[in-house]
Amino acid sequence: MLSASKIIDALKDQGVTHVVGLADNLCRVLFLELQEEASMEVVHVSREGEAYAIASGLYLGGKKPVVLIQNTGLLESGDAYRGTSWRMEIPQVMLIAYRGFNSLDPEVDRKDSVAEFTEPTLKAWNIPYKVMLGDDDIPMIERAFKIAENTSKPAAVLIAETTS
Amino acid sequence: MLNKYTCLEKLAALRKEEVVVTCMGSAKPWEKLSDTALDFASVDSAMGHAADFALGLAIAKPDRRIITINGDGSMLMCLGTFVTLAQRPCENYTMIIIENGTYEVTGNQKLPGVGKMDFEAIARGSGIENVVTVETEEEFEEHLPWVFTETGPAVFIWKVEPGDEGVPSFEMSIADRAARLKKALAK
Repeated sequence: MLSASKIIDALKDQGVTHVVGLADNLCRVLFLELQEEASMEVVHVSREGEAYAIASGLYLGGKKPVVLIQNTGLLESGDAYRGTSWRMEIPQVMLIAYRGFNSLDPEVDRKDSVAEFTEPTLKAWNIPYKVMLGDDDIPMIERAFKIAENTSKPAAVLIAETTS
Repeated sequence: MLNKYTCLEKLAALRKEEVVVTCMGSAKPWEKLSDTALDFASVDSAMGHAADFALGLAIAKPDRRIITINGDGSMLMCLGTFVTLAQRPCENYTMIIIENGTYEVTGNQKLPGVGKMDFEAIARGSGIENVVTVETEEEFEEHLPWVFTETGPAVFIWKVEPGDEGVPSFEMSIADRAARLKKALAK
């Protein structure tokens, strides 16, 4: 389990103003708690590719957004990511719910194919990333911001456990 | 049917401090009319997402009008944007859809749904109330000032003749255009 409130605290520490994304199972509680968080606005998108473009506009307008989507949406939104956050050199931190992570265990026969595609895709797209498995890993969010700001490129943190 | 180039000239003549986001078939014609830090060509970017990008600007800068000049092919690639715009309404957001029924910059190939699809109906059905389809010179003259004043999200659909723009390219990279816009908006 990952604490939604501790993730939100980490985002607040970074001065995040907007969370742009689309809800999923792993981040259900995180989205619910974000709706109650006065210091950030949640912008809901209809399809994940919109999130990168909206976040890019927010950043150029002086705000500090994060993108919060599921790994299925990551795969869908490749060109939007490439053409906005990456091409515009936006230090965009993205939080990606890692559906199917547990199915990658060698002991599990039935793999979730989106999990099999996730990390190879991030590597192919040159997106630095870390996988959060528990609350002790939440400082990975701060590190992602540092990487993104130092490189003027996106960086990702994968949410591999259900938020609660 | 309207002429795209004439419409853009008339829009540029009235434009003051608004941000104008262009893409595809409007990018190069607009560059000839205006190339300030508040003009952003969403070129060498991601087709279909100029309107989303403009929404981000509009949320960040509620006191400044953001105008996006979208193509019909680009709009068709991301129809969900209408719903996103309706659920996060920005009074300062104006979208113009230049509807010529073709993918102009790749050789005017016909768009899917031409003659059947109705952007105004889709926008209204998505929850956007201020939507106008403009087909004649008289309608254009009447509605042009509204582009700058209508409560957003406002959508203006300009029915134009197909043009002959090629694939747009810009000397300044999109990263540099983005940095220029960010600096201008910070003032």
